Amino acid sequence: MFTLNLKIALRNLWKNKVSSFINVIGLAIGLAACLILLIYVTYEWNFDKQSKNSANIYMAMTNISNDNGKVFMTFDGTTTALAPLIKQQIPEVKYVGRMDYGGKGLIANGENSFKKTSRFAEPDILRIYDYQFSYGNPRIALNDPHSVILTEGMAKTLFGTTDVLNRSVRYQDNINLKVTGVIKDLPANSSDQFDYLMPWSFYEELDADAKDLNWGNFSYLTRVLLDADANPELVNAKLGKLLKNYKQLKFATHFLFPQNKIHLYGKFENGRSTGGDIERIWLFMGLAIGILLIACINFMNMATAKSEKRAKEVGIKKTMGASRPSLIIQFLTESMVLTMISIAIAITLAEICLPAFNNLLQMNLKMSYFDTRSWLGIVGLVVITGLVAGSYPAFYLSSFNPIQTLKRKTQGRKMLDVSMRQVLIIGQFCFTIMLIISTLVIYKQIQYIKNRPLGVEVNALVEMPQEGALLTKYDLLKARLLKSGAVTSMYHSYSGLVHHNNNISGIKWPGMTADNNIQFNKVLTTVDFIKTTGLKVIQGRDFSEKYASDTAAVLVSSATVKTMALAHPLGQVIDLFGEKLTIIGVFDDYVFDSPYKSNNPLIVTMNKRNKGAITMRLNPERSLKENTEVIEKISRELNPAYPLELNFVSAAYAALLQQEVTLGILSNLFGGLAIFISCLGLFGLAVYSAEQRTKEFGIRKVLGASVYSLMQLLSLSFLKMIVVAIVIAVPLAYYFMGAWLQKFEFHTTISWWIILIAASGTLLIALLTVGYQAYKTATSNPVDALKYE
Amino acid sequence: MITLQNIEKYYATKGLKSYILRHVSTTIQQGEFVSIMGPSGAGKSTLLNILGMLEEPTYGTYEFMGEDITSLSERKKIELYRNHIGFVFQAYHLIDEMTVAENIEAPLLYKKIAGAERKSRVADMLDRFNIVGKKDLFPNQLSGGQQQLVGIARALAAQPSIILADEPTGNLQSAQALQIMELFKKLNEEENITIIQVTHSEVNAGYGSRILHLLDGVIKEDLNVVNL
Repeated sequence: MFTLNLKIALRNLWKNKVSSFINVIGLAIGLAACLILLIYVTYEWNFDKQSKNSANIYMAMTNISNDNGKVFMTFDGTTTALAPLIKQQIPEVKYVGRMDYGGKGLIANGENSFKKTSRFAEPDILRIYDYQFSYGNPRIALNDPHSVILTEGMAKTLFGTTDVLNRSVRYQDNINLKVTGVIKDLPANSSDQFDYLMPWSFYEELDADAKDLNWGNFSYLTRVLLDADANPELVNAKLGKLLKNYKQLKFATHFLFPQNKIHLYGKFENGRSTGGDIERIWLFMGLAIGILLIACINFMNMATAKSEKRAKEVGIKKTMGASRPSLIIQFLTESMVLTMISIAIAITLAEICLPAFNNLLQMNLKMSYFDTRSWLGIVGLVVITGLVAGSYPAFYLSSFNPIQTLKRKTQGRKMLDVSMRQVLIIGQFCFTIMLIISTLVIYKQIQYIKNRPLGVEVNALVEMPQEGALLTKYDLLKARLLKSGAVTSMYHSYSGLVHHNNNISGIKWPGMTADNNIQFNKVLTTVDFIKTTGLKVIQGRDFSEKYASDTAAVLVSSATVKTMALAHPLGQVIDLFGEKLTIIGVFDDYVFDSPYKSNNPLIVTMNKRNKGAITMRLNPERSLKENTEVIEKISRELNPAYPLELNFVSAAYAALLQQEVTLGILSNLFGGLAIFISCLGLFGLAVYSAEQRTKEFGIRKVLGASVYSLMQLLSLSFLKMIVVAIVIAVPLAYYFMGAWLQKFEFHTTISWWIILIAASGTLLIALLTVGYQAYKTATSNPVDALKYE
Repeated sequence: MITLQNIEKYYATKGLKSYILRHVSTTIQQGEFVSIMGPSGAGKSTLLNILGMLEEPTYGTYEFMGEDITSLSERKKIELYRNHIGFVFQAYHLIDEMTVAENIEAPLLYKKIAGAERKSRVADMLDRFNIVGKKDLFPNQLSGGQQQLVGIARALAAQPSIILADEPTGNLQSAQALQIMELFKKLNEEENITIIQVTHSEVNAGYGSRILHLLDGVIKEDLNVVNL
């Protein structure tokens, strides 16, 4: 029975090439989207779940609250003193390890030097994360201060081989470290990334802050492994009680958070996790499943449209003694066969698309063909799709009464039958139109943000990290660069122009009303800050070498003046934790951190000690190539160990929009696919409907109907459905995209032309799809049509 | 084998009953060859459909092999289709996607007959109807007469006790029609299969043993055919 059903299914597919093609292509695209989604979700879902103990690994988080006890910030930085306390006082804790945030550091094997991600960690980190050691002993690998653990990739980069135990590498062109371990490369979906890992004891040598056990500097990470049977809530309660005794923690508290959740649920509000990247996963799921559903609807519509043909078969089989379940199974077999063919194409499609998708999301996803789980996923996808696409037609077709189907030559229209198909088509186009409107709104929002004035002259503005010899030879560098003519002005500061994230509260100013917790963003910079960046000065002047007193001076943004309500800001003195600073200049606000909202008011101080980035304005008279060559030459002379890393500030601004640009591309892509598959389905139905009505058209033509009126007859019924879809989709899309826009403080509006374009575009494409078929039928010779029956 | 008592069938439209069958009562014994005749619209096909359980009478009782059909469950009806009833249609109604051999095999599949047995029965049928050479062809590659032969072979494959034929020769040329009628007669006489056919043709009716004349839904005549 099964083999016969299979054979019939294949013969049916072969016989109805148009509908088979439409179904296979549609389903293949939908399945490919779902496959990529499946890979993506698996990747995200397994974030930080690789190590054996991952379920028991926790990270210490810090809540910062204001005077009213309201938590306004939650982050993963902790102090150095927390780890030893936890270890001593909480019995459920098996291991505690401190790490730093990691950064790019120079590592060299002789002349081969590279800037790679480094981390410092306590030896117990190796017990918390069971890194796979290819060489070396995890028990002792971090014991000696001057040792280092390399990943295999790092070892290969440096030495060309992974068997490099006991070889020596040079760190930051300064200290030689012995390789005490080589571990397998860390999976991309794990949080604590590094290329090489160094002992905490070495960190303590380098940085006095790391050695000092304090409760004030939240620059370190604390990772905790709890006993397998520990109750994390209980542990957190204990921790809370324990920390109450520490007077230094006036405004900060700590809690443990499961590490394998931080990636997807890393957004905290008021000290509680409120989601995070999981939203992105829901969005992807919605899009991919939507596409697949559209393809499934095509299948349903084509299957039920052909019901007249299949009804005869059902009738005959029923008179032979076929039971309804056996018929349902037969029709499901057909949808399964179709889905199987589609999945084969879908896997190929997904393979072709993955590189582009990876590129878009900056990921490295792969299909794993040798993993049973991925095959289970694929089989599950096929079964579910086959069932979704096939069950409605199966139940519908198998319900036919034999006598009605056998008796009737041409089936009369059943009300319900037609309206169900209409509902499905309307559903398809609703989804499609909503996607098109979303795409346009996202595009408009991105344009709106892009076109907002930055307040900074980004052209010819470049940044480079201040590191190595440049930490001490900045003045020489500045003198030589200015003299060379490649750079017209420059300054160094603690962080780059786009990212500040140095929020403070507790500033006092004249006329201030009571205590408050207003947050300001503090920028530590040096002379020529305004001259280099091209900010607009409203009052006063830039920092300058000419005034020695400028170390006690401050520049403020106009938002700061407004916040502080200073009528005459120049010359006013503000108090920054005891430091008295005189306002010497006011500049117009500029965009940093997030281009979507107004950021904290800025306080710019002059501070030569805090170094991080050098910002330069290139000479516009010369070519870019010329300028960079000069900078590279001078930088190499002064700082030979470090390769030059020149970044354009404009690129840094563009990166701020990356997430929305990605969203735009995705909704574009999925919207395009949705309209393509929907129109394929529409085309299939038009072909079928035309076929069915050839005789009617023949008769009408003989009676004198014009081509136009016939086309109208065929097209109008389809276009009516699209119009209904538009009527439903527009308010929905308007509502959802309106809510999306509300997430941004600076946002555009949904203009009428967006809706007009989406509606008329969809109508036009649908009209072309159906119209072609209608024209073909309407212009055919009536004699052929009438002979046909 | 079949007992009909006071069978009525009507459609009610706008309060008006339009009768198709009225007061039809008759008994058909195992081994009879009955022809139902009458002008168009007399209710022949409806009667056959009721006999074949494809339609339900509005009123009256119908007993098939001692069982009351009107109260029979769907499952029971399917059992009867599988084991006792073979249909032959005017328009042949072969399944277009199946080859000749597969069409003949199909009812055996529903009867859940084992593979080897199925193959031998299909081979037997092909042999008997001289269509072995056509077993891998599809219905649309055959002439009408050949298609009807396949249709009958399919009905017979399940070894039914009764064959219901709705104008089995209506679409055929006279030579082919004669061939089919000869076949029916032979099946009736040699294998004792009950046959009920609807026909317009006096000639075809002559092959049977009994003729029911229907006029406006009423049995006007019930004749025994005297074999000449």
